[in-house]
Amino acid sequence: MPTSKDNPVSQSAEPVFRTADWHEREAYDLVGIQYEDHPDLRRILLPDTWQGHPLGLDYDQDRPQIATLREHANPLEGDHRSAGDSNTMYINIGPHHPATHGVLHVETVVDGEQVVDLDSDIGYLHRCEEQMCQQGTYRHQIMPYPDRWDYISAGLLNEWAYARTAEDLADIEVPEYAQIIRTMGAELCRIASHMIALGTFALDVYGDFTAIFMYAMRDREIVQNILEDLTGQRMMFNYFRLGGVVWDLPEPREEFFEKIRDFIDELPQALEEYHDMITSNEILQARTVGTGVLPPEVAKSYGATGPVARGSGIDYDLRRDDSYGYYDELDWDVVVEDGCDNFSRLLVRMREVEESAKIIQQCVDLLEDWPEDERNIQANVPRTLKPEEDTEIYRAVEGAKGELGIYIRADGTDKPARFKIRSPCFSNLQTLPEMSEGEYIPDMIASLGSLDIVLGEVDR
Amino acid sequence: MSLQAVLPDTISGLLGLEGILGDVVGGLVGAFLIANIMLIMTAFAGPWAKRKITAAFGDRIAVNRIGPFGLLTIVTDAVRLLSKELIVPEGVDRPAWDLAPMVIPFSALLGFAVIPMGNGIQLADPETGLAFAFAAASIASLGIVMTGYASNNKFSLIGALRAVASNIAYEIPLVVTAASVVIFAGSLRMSEIVAVQAEPLLSVAGVTIPTWFAFVNPFAFALFIIANLAEVGRNPFDIPEAPTEIVAGFQTEYSSVYFVLIYLGEFIHIFLGGAIAATLFLGGPAGPVLPGFVWFTIKIWAFFLFTQWARSAIPRLRVDQFLEIGWKGMLVLSFANLVLTAIIVGVIV
Repeated sequence: MPTSKDNPVSQSAEPVFRTADWHEREAYDLVGIQYEDHPDLRRILLPDTWQGHPLGLDYDQDRPQIATLREHANPLEGDHRSAGDSNTMYINIGPHHPATHGVLHVETVVDGEQVVDLDSDIGYLHRCEEQMCQQGTYRHQIMPYPDRWDYISAGLLNEWAYARTAEDLADIEVPEYAQIIRTMGAELCRIASHMIALGTFALDVYGDFTAIFMYAMRDREIVQNILEDLTGQRMMFNYFRLGGVVWDLPEPREEFFEKIRDFIDELPQALEEYHDMITSNEILQARTVGTGVLPPEVAKSYGATGPVARGSGIDYDLRRDDSYGYYDELDWDVVVEDGCDNFSRLLVRMREVEESAKIIQQCVDLLEDWPEDERNIQANVPRTLKPEEDTEIYRAVEGAKGELGIYIRADGTDKPARFKIRSPCFSNLQTLPEMSEGEYIPDMIASLGSLDIVLGEVDR
Repeated sequence: MSLQAVLPDTISGLLGLEGILGDVVGGLVGAFLIANIMLIMTAFAGPWAKRKITAAFGDRIAVNRIGPFGLLTIVTDAVRLLSKELIVPEGVDRPAWDLAPMVIPFSALLGFAVIPMGNGIQLADPETGLAFAFAAASIASLGIVMTGYASNNKFSLIGALRAVASNIAYEIPLVVTAASVVIFAGSLRMSEIVAVQAEPLLSVAGVTIPTWFAFVNPFAFALFIIANLAEVGRNPFDIPEAPTEIVAGFQTEYSSVYFVLIYLGEFIHIFLGGAIAATLFLGGPAGPVLPGFVWFTIKIWAFFLFTQWARSAIPRLRVDQFLEIGWKGMLVLSFANLVLTAIIVGVIV
């Protein structure tokens, strides 16, 4: 909803969609919009002592931030408050905790072992990604950043989010051959990402570095090697370009295809092993079935997407519902489980690995038979992109964690005027209190693991 | 009635000492020997064997750089751990905070006093040997409560509460199951329990199977091993530590030497659990060909291997599920086992 620059006040959408809570706090924090009737309009990413709203147009970057020691001698003061009544205990889970998957700080009030109240404190990993993207040119300088949002091997999926947005903004048609390579690379990333989600979830439930975690890492390593062959990098791929990809498949191509085929052929066996060790284990079922319940309406209200939404029975996958790349030409299924609990989120990820393998298989078949003189990896893109003033665009792709969207407003220059990232983890993490209040601490930890958040993407 | 001379008597006999002096010197030297045997085993188990075993389960290699098979890691780890700063957090309750790391390994070592390890290695053989072993082992819970309470840390407190709850819930089945063995053996004296198990059960093709209680009553053996896993706090029952939930629970605040002592205590405790299981159910040091002490070592290491296997492969239970199994499952089953054993022994023997 547009607001005036002089009086940036809007109405809160929180009563309608719970997800607006955090998103409005973020807009308040970074841009400085006030929301009427918002239940809890605090800063979310920046420290409480921050002065000004850094993405606002009138923000002065050169003004020093002065927070006096007298007023802020103990920055943790709020974290040591007593829980009020003597039956409950206030504990800080994180920011340094083995199971928070990064620097997440969960302010928890427990009654014995049961979680009474819970509030996620994020922003420890805020790196001004949006602002950095606003300072880069469309053509080349933005593409390296998406790799750093969800840095757990989902790089190509993130790059695609930017590529899709900018290509639609500038009307660039991507060659079919490049789309197939993109699709294959993205699905490899999805497998790698789901493998680590699986491993760390097992880690949270099993405790310590157990066999299943190591197995998942071992199999992910193979994907990682394939991606390294393809992109030359293991983590910060920077492989996509506007209008295509940076280079063709590595030579000798047969060897590369062989490597992928070997992996795909051995995958069912590996998954069988995982099912033996995880999903058919009775103790794990006792731990995960019926815990961390997220009903479909609640999931929708919080804007949960990706495996979290599909684990709650919501049949929503952008690869099919807003198709891009080469997905609509291929034969694959959207995985949905309607258990709504930790177990079904785990199952969704395991089955999605199978679907991704199917997609990769078909991509490899297509790429193998592609005529040599038609291997066009890059469309013609102008050296400088200058979209018209005040054009706006929002495009999203199905990242490993859910709907990863990017909003760009152009101002006629070669750099975006506003670059907003809609991070799936950010919305998914909001569901944590719904899933864990009233549950035991171990179940809260398991629910957090089943959300599969990456703090790099939550905080950006 | 002692079947064999206990270790202190042997030592004082060798030294030619008699009377009180002989008792004191023999006892001290014997205790020193046994404590060192256990400490050496723990030194192998903690920094080296544990890593190697879990690595084997997880398809890794683990330590292999220092010394043959990485064995010298034991030395470097000892130096590393002992040279770290001992951090004493603000507000800890001393001296409880300092005493606890000593109570935990001490209690476990104390339990070994009555364990017959074969070849006459046994410090004492009182009539109430078994009761003593359990009593000594359960002092460790006191140590854990001390660590949890004195640390002034909420995670430690939760860990200590969990440890108490698990000890109460699983100690009873443990002792009751052991009692069924006592009914068979007709004695609490460790050496007698071992001696009873030496009798042949049956002969199959020239191989004589002894009356180890694990063969006589496998059900009790299974119960005992499960309760023992809970007692030593290993997966699926490692809830007092639960690093991913409550950050190592009661030992969160301990560093350097104190951490080593707690860690040591846990491993000795695993070995003590294995030793009691071996004595009650696996014929103690009995076994063919090899000397008794070697068999005894093999048996307690087998139990250690089992705990590490469980740790690598089995998920952790939630605390309420864990207690439910303890009170509603293990307790009932162990009493059923006891009553059945009593009836069978009463009718047949």
